[in-house]
Amino acid sequence: MSEALLSVRGLSKSFGGVAAVQNVDMDLIGGVVTALVGPNGAGKTTLFNLVTGNIAPDTGEVHLEGRPITSTKPHDVARLGVARSFQDLRLFGKMTVHENVMVATEPATWLWQPGGPEAKRERLARVDEALERTGLAGLARARAVDLSYAETKFLSMARVIATGARIWLLDEPSSGLDPNSRKRFVRLIRDAIAAGVTICLIEHNLDIVTELADRIAFLDQGKKLAEGEPQAILRDPTLIAIYFGERRE
Amino acid sequence: MLFIQLLASGIQTGALYALTAAGFALIFGATRIFHVAHGASFVLAGYAFVAASALGLHWAAAVLLATAVAVAFGMLVDLLVYRPIQRHEASFFTVFVASFGIVICVQALVQFQFGRGSVAVSTSLTRSAELLPGLYIAPVFWVAAGVSLALFTAVSLFLERTNAGLGLRALSENPELLRAYGLSSRRLSALAFGLGSALVVPGAILTAATTGIEPAASHRVMLISIAASVVGGIGSLRGAALAGLMLGVVENLVVLVLDTQWSEAASFVVLFVFIVFRPSGLFGKAVTS
Amino acid sequence: MIAYIVNLATLVAIFGIAAASMNLLIGYAGIFSLAHGAFFGIGAFAAAQLALNLTPDLLLAFLAAASLSIALSLCLALPALRVRGEYFIAASLGLQMFAVTVFHEAPSLTGGHGGLAGIPQATLLGIEVGTPWRFLAVAAVTLVLSLLLIQILMRGSFGRALMAMRDAESAAMAFGKNIPLLKTLAVAAGCGLVGIAGALYAFHISFVIGDSFTLEQSVLLQAMVIIGGAGTLAGPLVGTLLILLLPAALTFMPMIPPTEIGTVQQFLYGAAMTLLMIFRPGGIAGQSVGRR
Repeated sequence: MSEALLSVRGLSKSFGGVAAVQNVDMDLIGGVVTALVGPNGAGKTTLFNLVTGNIAPDTGEVHLEGRPITSTKPHDVARLGVARSFQDLRLFGKMTVHENVMVATEPATWLWQPGGPEAKRERLARVDEALERTGLAGLARARAVDLSYAETKFLSMARVIATGARIWLLDEPSSGLDPNSRKRFVRLIRDAIAAGVTICLIEHNLDIVTELADRIAFLDQGKKLAEGEPQAILRDPTLIAIYFGERRE
Repeated sequence: MLFIQLLASGIQTGALYALTAAGFALIFGATRIFHVAHGASFVLAGYAFVAASALGLHWAAAVLLATAVAVAFGMLVDLLVYRPIQRHEASFFTVFVASFGIVICVQALVQFQFGRGSVAVSTSLTRSAELLPGLYIAPVFWVAAGVSLALFTAVSLFLERTNAGLGLRALSENPELLRAYGLSSRRLSALAFGLGSALVVPGAILTAATTGIEPAASHRVMLISIAASVVGGIGSLRGAALAGLMLGVVENLVVLVLDTQWSEAASFVVLFVFIVFRPSGLFGKAVTS
Repeated sequence: MIAYIVNLATLVAIFGIAAASMNLLIGYAGIFSLAHGAFFGIGAFAAAQLALNLTPDLLLAFLAAASLSIALSLCLALPALRVRGEYFIAASLGLQMFAVTVFHEAPSLTGGHGGLAGIPQATLLGIEVGTPWRFLAVAAVTLVLSLLLIQILMRGSFGRALMAMRDAESAAMAFGKNIPLLKTLAVAAGCGLVGIAGALYAFHISFVIGDSFTLEQSVLLQAMVIIGGAGTLAGPLVGTLLILLLPAALTFMPMIPPTEIGTVQQFLYGAAMTLLMIFRPGGIAGQSVGRR
């Protein structure tokens, strides 16, 4: 097995006595798509927040290519090449589609960006490419709040694509999409994998999980219960009972 | 003795701050609306009392009239301003600006009708008696303290013992319920505005009876209410009341070490320090920044 | 009559700069400061002290006013980094009230309740620019340059970062924006620019007093931005024109007694704020709430 690009060791976090994430180990291996699966409240999003530095862990460590990044500030994690999307999207509502994506390509927090006009051309090209790939090129001047649901989901993806990050953490990127859009989404992820991006996604749709994921990490009540090949995990009757048991409630 | 004298006037000021701030906190807790026009309710109630007294009404009738004005105003602002805004956009900023606009309008209207200067009602309540050597206490002190204590107890009992009160508390403890309840929260929100606005009345009347009330008083009331709510922990009724009392006392005691002109600034320094170092306030839950 | 119009135009230019700087905070960065009047005053007092004690040179006055405002803007940046929404408004309110007390009670710095009078006419590179027409030209040029600078900054990555922070702070962070730095920069830029407006104001009125920089002034600046349209280039200017020309227009209305003009104006802009928020929260120059 090749070297882990991002590794998580013994990560724990509790909120007011409730353990959201307990002693979780996980490796994202270069080029491998890992799906985080588990019932609602399993701690999947919290795990993302711990990795990206939005929340400081109680215990445990996160390493990116061997460098410790535990409790690094979110903007620094982003600059190290980890991009993420949010379950509730968090688009920049009053800005245009083009501006939304442009923001994702501008790393410096200063009055201007480094690199001059040449770097700017390169960034603009990345924006155009991201818009092209997500099918939003025709809507570049529309404001994010005026988009349809599927369009907002793709805009959220376009922002991630445009960062040029090597690692993507996607939080329910395909939820609520119609079958057609879902197909486009799968193609988008396939293209990214082909381009060498390492992806970790939280996903409830098991069809998409089997279609895209190389590995599954199964979380429940903050603990990682199992990790392995999708076929093995999805055939485990105990895990399936936990997963669908929760769903019936 | 100066210390006790200042403490006494601090408690008198603070008791009224406490009630006013508790009203603001009640409204904020139940509706998440930052009702800065609360200060306008105060001014309207005060002027209603002054006008009624000038017409020769019995003081009890004037109090009733002032209460009616404050309650009606609070509920109307909720109905005519906040509801329509929340229907299309619930942004905090929009509600705040609209509320601020109301404050400005009310101030202008009162100025137009009664003039810029302060007006007062003369009463025998403010005649001080020497309680101890060097300690002067006017009857208004006992009125302020007694009324505040009685009303605060009444409101607390109401919130604890009645169904409507429980509903309000549920809303303030779990704002998510606001969304889940949907329609039924409207009646509760009207109740919060009515009750919260009524709590400005004692402060407004006693201010008119002691120092006098002026159109610009709304700013000061708004500031004190906000300061007390933040220091007490936003949404906490008890916290707001205690912090209001504390601000009143601090404001008066500051005179011991600084010139009187700095007394008002003292509350704002307290407010600022709390926001920067302990934004959750005395009794509030932690806020995420 | 001409003198009256020139004076009014100069005030429009000065308040245009102040409103544009307020817009930087409210409209672009989403930082809802109620202390902008205080920073307007800080700039005015800095310029007045410089002119009274050293030199009436306008560029030096701009430099002094902006530096002092930027340095003190850290008092506003601090709560902006710690808290949001209601809490920040409350903090800025506290700061504004405290500043007014200082304006009134620190006579050595601000002249206290009497203010600072007799500010000499401004010079620019050794040339007297104190005459009404010249000063109007200077103020107008400063306004144009300020708007140009804001336009360049807001069209660029800095503006996008600010707006991203305004719309979704956590997402802006996830795309590499250092939020504390961004907020500190935004507050410094907004306060620095309003400091410059304050310096112009001090020379124009030639008399500065704490009473000119109270909460009412902060609210007035906010009203200019909100009525005109927050987050747009033209908005603050439209708002400034409306609010400053309103009393002028009211003077020509026969049915309003002259003593009540201030009150009527106040009522009108209060009503405008509330009604706009109900019916058109984007302001006059802003986009209406889009639906598709």
